[in-house]
Amino acid sequence: MKGRLFFKIFGTYLAIAVLAIGIVGFLAGNQIRVKLEAQVENELMAYARIVDLYPMKEIQARVGEIARIAHARVTVIDRDGRIVAETDRDASMLGSHLERPEIQEARVRGRGTATRYSQTQREEMMYVALPIPKDQEIVGYIRLARPLVEVRKSIEEFTGILLRSFLILLISSAVVAFLFSRKLTSPIRDMEQLTEKLRKGEQPGSLMIRSSDEIGMLAQNINYMMEELQRRIAALQEEKAKVEAAFSSALDGVLILNRDGRIETRNQGMGSILGDRYGDIMGKTPLEAFRNLDLQRALDRYGRDHRPVTQEIELGEEERAVLDLSITPVKGYADAEEKTMLVFHDVTHLKKLERMRVDFVANVTHEIKTPLTAILGFVETLQEGAIEDRETAKKFLSTIARHAERLNRLVEDLLTISNAELGEMHFSFESVALSGIAQSVLQMIQRKAGEKKIKLTSAIPEDLPLIRADRDRLSQILINVLDNAVKFTPEGGQVTITASPEAASEVVVRIVDTGIGVPHDEISRLGERFYRVDKTRSRELGGTGLGLSIVKHLVAAHKGRVEIESRLGRGTTVSLYFPIS
Amino acid sequence: MDERKRISTHYEKELQDIKQNLLYSGALTEKAIENVVASLLDRKSDLARQVIDGDKEIDKLDTEIEEQCIRLLALRQPIARDLRFITTAIKINGHLERIGDMAVNIAEKVLDLNEQPQLKPYIDLPRMAEIAREMIRGSLDAFVSENCELANRIRRMDSTIDSLNEQIFRELLTFMIEDTRTVHRALLIMQVSKNLERIADHAKGMADMVVYMVTGINVRHQWPGDPDDICEAKRVED
Repeated sequence: MKGRLFFKIFGTYLAIAVLAIGIVGFLAGNQIRVKLEAQVENELMAYARIVDLYPMKEIQARVGEIARIAHARVTVIDRDGRIVAETDRDASMLGSHLERPEIQEARVRGRGTATRYSQTQREEMMYVALPIPKDQEIVGYIRLARPLVEVRKSIEEFTGILLRSFLILLISSAVVAFLFSRKLTSPIRDMEQLTEKLRKGEQPGSLMIRSSDEIGMLAQNINYMMEELQRRIAALQEEKAKVEAAFSSALDGVLILNRDGRIETRNQGMGSILGDRYGDIMGKTPLEAFRNLDLQRALDRYGRDHRPVTQEIELGEEERAVLDLSITPVKGYADAEEKTMLVFHDVTHLKKLERMRVDFVANVTHEIKTPLTAILGFVETLQEGAIEDRETAKKFLSTIARHAERLNRLVEDLLTISNAELGEMHFSFESVALSGIAQSVLQMIQRKAGEKKIKLTSAIPEDLPLIRADRDRLSQILINVLDNAVKFTPEGGQVTITASPEAASEVVVRIVDTGIGVPHDEISRLGERFYRVDKTRSRELGGTGLGLSIVKHLVAAHKGRVEIESRLGRGTTVSLYFPIS
Repeated sequence: MDERKRISTHYEKELQDIKQNLLYSGALTEKAIENVVASLLDRKSDLARQVIDGDKEIDKLDTEIEEQCIRLLALRQPIARDLRFITTAIKINGHLERIGDMAVNIAEKVLDLNEQPQLKPYIDLPRMAEIAREMIRGSLDAFVSENCELANRIRRMDSTIDSLNEQIFRELLTFMIEDTRTVHRALLIMQVSKNLERIADHAKGMADMVVYMVTGINVRHQWPGDPDDICEAKRVED
C-alpha cells in the first residue's frame, strides 16, 4: 500500500530526470561534436593553407615532415587523381582519388572538407583538401586527414558524466520519493488504522496532527468526526440498552415477526410464559410453532385489516395459559419490510380468580339452599297435618332447628370472612399467654374428642414468650383448627397441640393429628372458600367449608402465617406462626 | 438474473403458502378431534355441532390447497424435490380432508350418545384421540421440517391405536353379551373408536408420504414398520 504511492512518486521523479538528462545529453552532445569538429577542421585547414604556399614538388618531398608537424595524414594528389605522395603507405596503392567528395569540393570551390569513415584507418576521419595552384592552374591537391578520435573520446566522456549524474539523480530521487511518500502516507495510514479500529468497535483514540496542510486539516476533521461519532454511538448504545432492558424484563411475552411472518425475536417474558412447551420457536411461523387456531385467526385478521388486533387466546395442551394477545405493527420500517409485534399478557391468574369468584357465588347459593330446602320441606309436612302428631312434630322441629342452626353458622362464618377480607374486623391486640387460651379451648373440644375416643394431648411450655394477639380471635383460630383435626381423625386416634419459640421473633403452634390426611396436590387449595377434599363426608360432619379459610384470614391479620403438611392416611400437621409481642 | 431471482422467490413463497395452509388445515382437524372428544366426555352436544359446522372450513381449505398445488404443477413444472413436495402436499391434503369428515362422523355418533345415559366411563377413547392428534401434529411437523426420523416415529405409533381399538371392541362385546339394552350405545361407541382408528391410519398415511418425500422410497404398503435405517438408506439427490 505504501509501496504503490512510493512508486508513483519515484516514477514521476525518474521520468523527469530521464527527460531532462535526455534533452541535455542530446543538445549538448550535438553542440560539443559540432564545436570540436569545427576546431579540427580549422586547424587542418590552417596547416593546409600554409603547406599550400609551397610548390608541389617541395610538398611532395616533405610530406613526412608536414605530417609530423600537423599530426595528420598527408596525401598529395596530382591533377588526374593519382596519389603522388602519401604518408600512409598502405593507402598509396589506391586508385583515383578524384571522386572523393573533399577533392571534388576543393576543385569546384577552392577548398573541401568531408567527414567519413575511413576503410583504411577504421576510424571516422576528417578530411581537408586544397588545390595546389601553379600559374593559375591546378596541378594537384593537398589533402590532410586526421581521425576524429579526440572528438569521439570527448563525447564518450561527456556521456559518461551524464550517466553518472543520471545515476545520482536516480538514487537521490528514490530516496526523496521514499521520504516524501512516507511523510505523505504515514498520516494517511494513521487515519486508516483509526477508522479500521472504529469499524471494529474498538476505542480509536485520536490522530496526531503533524502539519497544517490539507492532510493536517483532514486529520483534524477526522478527529472531530470521531469524537462526534463516539458520542452518538454511546448515546445510541445507552438508548438501546434501556430499550433492551425494558423489552427483556417485561413480564409480558413479546414476539416480533419478520415480513415473511416468521418469528425473529422473542423476549424473556415470552420464554417464561411458554416454558418448554413448544421447544425452539425461532425462525418458525406462529402456525408452525404453536398450531393454535385462535392465534392464527387473529394473525389472519390483522393481515387482512391492517389494524391492531386484540384477542384472548389459550396456549398449551394441559395447564393452558390464558393470554391477552395484541398484534401491532412495529413502527419505523418501510412498508415492504414491516414487522409485526405480538404481545402476550398472561391473564391465567386473573381468569382463575374470576372463576373462583363465580364458584364462590355458586357455592354459597348451594350451601344455603340445602338447609333451606330441608327446612321448607319439613315445614310443609307439618302444615299438611304432621303437626297433629306430637311425636313426629317434635322430631321435625328439632331437625328444622338443626338446619336453621347450620344456616346461622354459615352466615356467621361468611360474615367473619367478608369482614376479614374487607378489613373491617376489629381486633384488640394485647400480649397474650398462649397456654391459658389453649387450655380453655381444649376443654371445649374435649367433649367432642371424648365421643370419638380421641386422645387429646397438649404440650405447651409455661415459659413460652407472650404473643401479640386478640384473645377471642386466637380462641376462634385454635377452635377451628382443633375442631377440624378431631373431625377428620377416626375413632381411637390422637390429636396433639404443641408450641415452641421459632427463631427469635415467632412462636409456632402445631396441631398434629393422626387423621385421614389430604392428598398432596390438594394442600394448596385448602383454605379456598368452600373447598372440600371430600365434599359429602365433610358436609356429613357438619362443616361449612369455611373453617380453614377463616383461620387463614385471622392468622394473616395477626401478621402470622399458616403452613399445612399432610400425608394421606397418616395425618395432618397444621403449623400456626404468631409474632412474639 | 434479477428477474429470475424474483420469480424463484415468488415460487418459494407459493410453496411456503401451501405449507402454511396445510398446517392450518391440520390445526383445524386437530381442534375438531379435540372438540368432538370433549363433547363426548363433558356431554356437551353443542361442541359436536360446532365440529359438524366447522367441517365446511376444512373442505374449503381442501379445495384451495388442491388448486394451489395444481396451479404450481401446471405453471412451474417442478422437478425432483419440488415435485415430490407437491405430490406429498396433495396426498396429505386429501388425508386431512378425510380426517375432517371422520371427525364429523364421530360428532354425529356423539350427538346420539349424549341423548342417552352414559354406558361406561371413557378412558381409552380420550387416549386414542390424544394419540391420533399427536400423530397428525407429528406428521405435519415432519412434513414442514422434512424430518424423516420423526415421520418414522409417527408411523410406529399406529400400532398403539390399533390395540386400543381392539381393547375397546372386546370390552364393548362383553357389555352387549351381558345386557342387550346396551347394544345401541355400545355400537355407537364402537363406531367412534373405529373412526378414531381410521383417523390414525390417515395420519400414518401422511407420515408415509413424508418419508417418501425425503427419501424417495415408497413405504406405504409395508407392514409392520420398517427398519430404523430407512431414513439413512437412500437420500435422493436433487
